[in-house]
Amino acid sequence: MIEKLWFVIPEAVLLVGVVVVAILGLVRSGQIRNRVPWVAMAFVIGCGVAYPFVFTETAVSESTSLLPGLGRPMGLVACVVGVCLVFMTIGRIDRRYEQAIAEGRDRFDPLRSNRGEYYVFFLLSLAGLMLTCSANDLIWLFLALELTSLPTYVMVAMSRSSRRAQEAAMKYFFLGAMSAAMFLYGFSLLYAATGTVELTEMREILTAQAAEGGISMLAVVGMMLALLGIGFKLAAAPMHLYAADVYEGAAVHVTAVLGFIPKAAGAVAFMLLLSTMGWFDGSTLPLPILILLWVMAVLTMTLGNVAALLQRSVKRMLAYSSISHSGYLLIGIIAGPGLGFSAVILYLFVYGLANTGAFAVLASLEREGREIESVEDLAGLRQKHPGSAIALAISSGSLLGFPPLLGFWGKLALFIAGIASGHIVLVLIAGVNSAISAWYYLRLVGLPLMSEPSERSETIDRVAVPWPRFAAIGIAAAMVVLPIFLAGIQDETDVPLPPDTADVVATHESGDQDASGL
Amino acid sequence: MTSAIAIRIVEMLPAVPAVPMADVVEATSHWWAGFILWCPLISLALCGLCAAFRVKSKLPAWITVLSLACSFVLTIILGNLEDVPERIQLFEWISVDWVGGSFVANFALYIDSLTILWMSFVTGLGTLIALYASEYMETDVGKGYARFFSGVSAFLFAMGCLVMGDNLLMLYLGWEGVGFASYWLIGYYYRRPAAVAAAKKAFIVNRIGDLGLALAIYLIWSTFGTVQYNELITHLDAGTFAASYEHWSVEAIPYLLMLAAFGKSAQLPLYVWLPDAMEGPTPVSALIHAATMVTAGIYLIARMYPFFLLEPTSLHVVAWVGGLTALLAATIGMAQYDIKRIFAYSTVSQLGYMFLGLGVLTTYGASYHVFTHAFFKAVLFLAAGAVMHGFAGQLDLRKLSGLRRMKGWRIVAWTMFIGCVCLAGFPFTSGYFSKDAILAEAFVTQGPGFEALGWIAIFTAFLTAYYTFRVWCRVCAGPVHFEPGDELHDDGHHDEEHEFHPHAPRFAINFVLVVIALGALLASVPYFMTNEVSEIKGGWIADMVNDSTAAAGIPGHEEHPGTIAHDAGHAHHGSILGMDPHVAMYWISGVVGGIGLFLAFWLHLWRRQDADRLRSWLLARAWIRWLPVAMENKWYVDEVYHALVRAPLWLLGHIAYGFDRYIVDGLLVDGTARLPRLIARWFQPLQNGLLQSYAVTMAGGAALITLLMVLMMQFFEGGSVQ
Repeated sequence: MIEKLWFVIPEAVLLVGVVVVAILGLVRSGQIRNRVPWVAMAFVIGCGVAYPFVFTETAVSESTSLLPGLGRPMGLVACVVGVCLVFMTIGRIDRRYEQAIAEGRDRFDPLRSNRGEYYVFFLLSLAGLMLTCSANDLIWLFLALELTSLPTYVMVAMSRSSRRAQEAAMKYFFLGAMSAAMFLYGFSLLYAATGTVELTEMREILTAQAAEGGISMLAVVGMMLALLGIGFKLAAAPMHLYAADVYEGAAVHVTAVLGFIPKAAGAVAFMLLLSTMGWFDGSTLPLPILILLWVMAVLTMTLGNVAALLQRSVKRMLAYSSISHSGYLLIGIIAGPGLGFSAVILYLFVYGLANTGAFAVLASLEREGREIESVEDLAGLRQKHPGSAIALAISSGSLLGFPPLLGFWGKLALFIAGIASGHIVLVLIAGVNSAISAWYYLRLVGLPLMSEPSERSETIDRVAVPWPRFAAIGIAAAMVVLPIFLAGIQDETDVPLPPDTADVVATHESGDQDASGL
Repeated sequence: MTSAIAIRIVEMLPAVPAVPMADVVEATSHWWAGFILWCPLISLALCGLCAAFRVKSKLPAWITVLSLACSFVLTIILGNLEDVPERIQLFEWISVDWVGGSFVANFALYIDSLTILWMSFVTGLGTLIALYASEYMETDVGKGYARFFSGVSAFLFAMGCLVMGDNLLMLYLGWEGVGFASYWLIGYYYRRPAAVAAAKKAFIVNRIGDLGLALAIYLIWSTFGTVQYNELITHLDAGTFAASYEHWSVEAIPYLLMLAAFGKSAQLPLYVWLPDAMEGPTPVSALIHAATMVTAGIYLIARMYPFFLLEPTSLHVVAWVGGLTALLAATIGMAQYDIKRIFAYSTVSQLGYMFLGLGVLTTYGASYHVFTHAFFKAVLFLAAGAVMHGFAGQLDLRKLSGLRRMKGWRIVAWTMFIGCVCLAGFPFTSGYFSKDAILAEAFVTQGPGFEALGWIAIFTAFLTAYYTFRVWCRVCAGPVHFEPGDELHDDGHHDEEHEFHPHAPRFAINFVLVVIALGALLASVPYFMTNEVSEIKGGWIADMVNDSTAAAGIPGHEEHPGTIAHDAGHAHHGSILGMDPHVAMYWISGVVGGIGLFLAFWLHLWRRQDADRLRSWLLARAWIRWLPVAMENKWYVDEVYHALVRAPLWLLGHIAYGFDRYIVDGLLVDGTARLPRLIARWFQPLQNGLLQSYAVTMAGGAALITLLMVLMMQFFEGGSVQ
């Protein structure tokens, strides 16, 4: 118990932040309310700073949890992307209402103000993601996952006053509840099959079962249901259907959050759960689970990509593309601990940044006071807003995985992990999908940079606050500069192997060829 | 950063057998050497900020000068600290390991004396020329000023990577970087179509060479398994990978490297971009297109010399290409009227000498000539730039005369004179010693037709003396006379009626001219200094080359394993007119240069009408008429390339375009693209926006998958799985 408390110190920092931000958001002074995003950001940074001190090498090596090495890299990635996510919202939340108060047209009413609330929910969701990493039993895992998701339902609902946001929140909430039911049911079956909720114990029991002749079917079915249910967080097929509607309905900055935090939590949960059932002494996952993951991966990336081809709305297109990125992530998860998990964390970092960058560009522009809808509206953006156009081009180039940019290295790491663990066909399918995705990503590069402005795109203006733009340009610069420090980043995102787990790749080389037939 | 293996697949298996580091010292304490690179990079960032904030002062120039001066000082300190090769790791860059091999390219510096030699004049001249440019570019303050100096900083950073990099990938980074900086600065006056065309030409022609470099790096890596110099040299020295010496790639590597070097250093057949590159501002011509960047090809071959020694024929090719380029460019230079163009062809010609030197096994001669040439050619260009600056862009040597008699122009005229005597190889100037080292070696080293090549080079030396002093006699000597160019600045000379006053250069330009001219004179001093290798003269420059990877090209250096029989050639020791070539060359070269000089003074100073008479006499004779015409038209090389390369490519391009448009795009792509979209349409009804249908689809999908899996498990394993 003491150990668990020690490892949640970073989350505790965030929770203190939640309280502080909640109070500051209700202060009468407009100046203090304007500082709320900065305070939130300070707490995220503080949380990130706490990680190296909490997750020291000795502390991690003494930890008894299932994947002790996962917490630090994932937490740091979450903090870095979290800072970007806060940065792109500075001055954006509740802008009109705050402006009206500042100009004396309106009075401050704590019930109507939601600037503080947004950051409260954001920090809670981020804390949920971090807690997921340190989960060592099913109950904790469930609570952490729901802590990640529940605030996002509210964030979607309050992000815009339009009906579409309400509708999106409704769908998101109901379908989220359904998926939670599904994976809870899976958890209960896992408990029934093993008699424990502790992940470490569960791994021991399942190892014993596997050694005696086979993992019980109850456990396998439980695992499947759990994966399918958590697949909702990842927006993995067949649980991806909500994504496009919800992402489109929410305001841009919330969509950016949805594209990263729940996804990362889902990926972490996948890694934790699967580690209980596979990769004992270099074996792979049980065949049905492996097939399930394959089907999910292939369907997710393919459906996401082909659907993105048809979209005319920028946000819908990015929503579908984020679905396909979940498919790529699954390659790393299939590849297993060691290379695979490290690649997943690296990819989450790379994808999280690029995704935030792309949405930050959208957040920095508006047309007649509303968000930009159609892709065609961006035509010729360079002529009036060169910075935004270039930032958008770099972010989408990075999402596509264009070589010198950061996104390329993330994808490369995933693909290498896939090949090294013998899933060459899967990587080939992902490669074809990347090629398909070039079609719509390159539109986001070509249209703003090279097309002539159309009548609609002439009316696009900058949002009055500069911070989203700064965030977009900063992230774009990072996409270009960070590859130089790739080795350092990979050091930080490396998930060390748990002591009793053999490297899948190394053992694969030594003759285990089962998976390569797939 | 302890055990960061970037993309770690198998840590346990080392990729290649551990290679003992030769003499290379890992010097972690010299991390500050990285600032030789970072200073220009910081300056690039600051100048970029100046451009963004539209700074309307000379601030960008001072930033650049200061940071380059820091680089220079650090280079000198570094050069005096160590004389052994050392590696300074800055940070890990790319490091991929897998079972069969690895690809490691760190951001590290490989410091040996060759590096220091190159960096000392690159950063030193860079500082001075940036100072010169601060005055030269002053009419652009607030407009392109910051852009210009960002370009210069970017160039210096890239050149630093090229020269100091510890592996071929960093060299490639720098190689492309200097190419880009060159494109950037040639096209500085982007409103002028000629400048844009020249920039494109330079970039495209360089790409041909870059292809060679990329392929060479790939072949080196695939043959030797590494791109790091210290490991490569160790492999070659130790004779490990002996089996791969038989490999065809070992024969191909030098030719590919050669292609790269010929592109960057403007040799036949890729020299055509350099004369056009003079469209850029003159400081750029002096720094990039005369003193530093164009010598990157010589650096590449000197650095990779062990590879050339494995394939002796490649060195013969280098020698012949260099010799012929020297001759061709000199003949063209004789018949041009634009001062900068003459100097550009002269640069091509002198670069030809350097390649000749590399080809005839005197890396010392080549490097020494690079060093001296950097100074005297910089001074010539900078003097030409001062003229251009003062006379509103006038560069036609027929329209300028008597500069040395004009007030305020004496420094320009006499520094140009110093540059000219050095370039012409007048006895006891720096150019005289460095050129002779090459010429003599052409007679010493045995090779196919090397003796003929030697005579060609001597003839070229005569032409060089002639065309160099043709410029000086026309522009600086003679009666005072000038016509302004067409580039009148907006500073008071606005109305055409107003009489034109050339504005003489002020402090910055004059100071830099004097310093570099002094440098050009003093560059002959190393020749008289003592050095460790007794066989040749050359002081510390010879020592520096001797301590580097280019050492095998120095006579007297101990036998390299795997080298060609260099000493066998020396045992025979060729002769010229029955004398030792090294001795004879002092006389021959002096006499030949004197004749050229005399001709130039006669035709262009004492009796200028004779030059016109000679020209009309030549043009009147049908049998000789083609010679001056062809020389004036640059031997029609551009036209020939246009017909042989550009026209077929244009045709091919249109055919390919048609094929792409109608067959690939029309039939294949649109056809294929329809498929995913068709699939998407097929699934679209699922995405109908109704909550209930989403729930049903999701739950149904999950149920279906689970059911299928369970059935499959039953079917295959009877309930248990592993």
